[in-house]
Amino acid sequence: MNIHEYQAKKILNQYGIKIPKGKIAYTPNEAKSIAEQVSSRGPWVLKAQIQSGARRKGYFLEKKAGKEGGIRIVKSKRHIFAVTKQMLGSTLVTMQTGPWGKKVSRIYVEAFSKVEDCFYMAVAINRVKAELTLLVAKVKDSDILKVALNHAEKILKIKLDISGNTRPEQVREVMDFLRLPSRAAKHLENLINGLHSAFLEKDCSMIEINPVGVMKNGELIALDAKISFDDNALYRHLDIQNLKDDCEISSRELQASRYKFNYSEFDGSVGCIVNGDGLALAVMDLLRDKNIGTACFINVKGGVDKDKIASGIKIIMTNPRVEGILLNILGGFLRCNLIADGIVAAASEVGLNVPMVVRFEGTNKDLAKEILQNSRLPVIWADTMEESVDKLTKAMEEAA
Amino acid sequence: MSIFIDKNTKVLCQGITGTQASFHIQRSLDYGTKVVAGVTPGKGSSFHLNLPVFDTVKEAVKETGATASVMYVPAKAVKSAVREAIEAELDLVVSIADSVPLKDMLEIKSMLKGTKTKLIGPNTPGIITPEEARLGIFPENIHNKGKIGVVSRSSTLTYEAVLETKRAGMGQSTVIGLGDDVLIGIDFIDALKEFHEDKDTTTIVMVGQLGGAFEEAAAEWYKSLENKKPVIAFVAGNAIPFGHKMGYAGDIITDGYISVLDKKDALISAGITVVNHINDIHVELAKFK
Repeated sequence: MNIHEYQAKKILNQYGIKIPKGKIAYTPNEAKSIAEQVSSRGPWVLKAQIQSGARRKGYFLEKKAGKEGGIRIVKSKRHIFAVTKQMLGSTLVTMQTGPWGKKVSRIYVEAFSKVEDCFYMAVAINRVKAELTLLVAKVKDSDILKVALNHAEKILKIKLDISGNTRPEQVREVMDFLRLPSRAAKHLENLINGLHSAFLEKDCSMIEINPVGVMKNGELIALDAKISFDDNALYRHLDIQNLKDDCEISSRELQASRYKFNYSEFDGSVGCIVNGDGLALAVMDLLRDKNIGTACFINVKGGVDKDKIASGIKIIMTNPRVEGILLNILGGFLRCNLIADGIVAAASEVGLNVPMVVRFEGTNKDLAKEILQNSRLPVIWADTMEESVDKLTKAMEEAA
Repeated sequence: MSIFIDKNTKVLCQGITGTQASFHIQRSLDYGTKVVAGVTPGKGSSFHLNLPVFDTVKEAVKETGATASVMYVPAKAVKSAVREAIEAELDLVVSIADSVPLKDMLEIKSMLKGTKTKLIGPNTPGIITPEEARLGIFPENIHNKGKIGVVSRSSTLTYEAVLETKRAGMGQSTVIGLGDDVLIGIDFIDALKEFHEDKDTTTIVMVGQLGGAFEEAAAEWYKSLENKKPVIAFVAGNAIPFGHKMGYAGDIITDGYISVLDKKDALISAGITVVNHINDIHVELAKFK
């Protein structure tokens, strides 16, 4: 689960990490009065709160929002109202949002912080080593992803302990790497310890501060913040659950998550029903090779309840962008007959109006076939994954 | 022969009294798996599926000599269940549960270090040695005995890879699902090592997917190997656009690898045959017949 920048900053601040003075505004009037509270003379930074990186380099779909991106520096108090008004309600597109962008419903109004230098700092998990890792890089305006891909050696990686604090020599290593002035030492220790504790105590999957600003007096300030939480551990953090912004998630995804199914949307035309993320990936790869895009997929893995499975299948059947349905189920834990029951129940409620190819393999597949055959639904049978894609392609061409 | 488990492996089941556990343990018993005991705290001295149930793993091991455990305990209980298994010095633990918290897995991985216990999973279909033993939730009817070792990160694609060995007219020595969580117990290297030591495995099929650098690490290891067995690999996830939520955001910055193409390149340069479609595996396998 992701949260907004202002929420992430608040959490980091609870762990002793310095953040610029700021407050969230839902209206231009609020923004105006907040601006006065956080700084008497400015400048101010107005930051569109959508859950995406690269907001500065993004653009708005609406003309009224102007040509600048989602992070705007305002020098004069009298412009706060107008700039906030431009961004509120407008749709911000970044390289992470997809072409449809995300609607901005709140603006974070911050006092501008004058800094001498900047760097990148994050805590993430190295999967192969199964280690908690502190990542540090000297990047100013350049994209950290580009650095990671092209100059991985420029990123300092330090293994953090999963119980206990960061060790002093680790802090010194970061000091040397960044060539920070000695007056920043205690602030750096504070920053690293704060990130380390926040990550473990709040069950995060990743925390990123991009960038950390180095102030003249050596203080370090989080100019941006991103926290992703581990969905599997949310049950032990009610406070974090409450930060979830449902507007950030498509309504279909939200619905699927209620049944604990993974649902994803893309910009193609095929709806996939599968029981495994890997299977979804492989099916999408096959479709792409036929030049067909995936509209969405739902992973009903682990489903044991017929009604929930039916509701999951309905999410695919009722998606208006879906022009064909591809069902690939390899039953193991999940029994194929439950899926068949789910298809029949869903189709009887919302109808099956597009071609649907069905492929069952594994636990109770014969029973599943029998159920579907008895239902007289016009499904097309396939024996292998490749065949299912071929048959659907054909059926969709015929239907078009 | 096989790896990790065979018909003589004595298996206990943690969380045996649950509905799913009962369903799958009964099937494993029918398959011939030597399940000797169950463990459910508070239900000791009773019987379930005609098996003695114990309160602790230690007791079960002492009474029955079990060396492997398959656990159907819920995600929240996985950490303590694995700890119990490690303390009882089991050789193998298979954890089926999905949604195990990351932090718990970080702790589990650190607990496992330096012990003899190997963990498969979590979020895995488990491990099966055809016609001998089944630990997990594999649909046993698709398996047949043979000489192909199968190891996969994705559960469902494991089944697909197994079907491919069949299409090639072959069978499997052992099939392992590694699990596709952010953190997993044993990885490709552990499985490949075992398959290389197993006399009856002649060829290995590995199925990777987007996320993590497990495939790259395996390629590196394989490259340095002197006596190589042929490996045929498939990696899923080429069609996923950059930055999509599938996969773990921290991968790029911690490992520098992001795309399926990187994985394929690494595997190919190590001398592994990489197929573009999973349904091409049987074609490559047939060449080794």
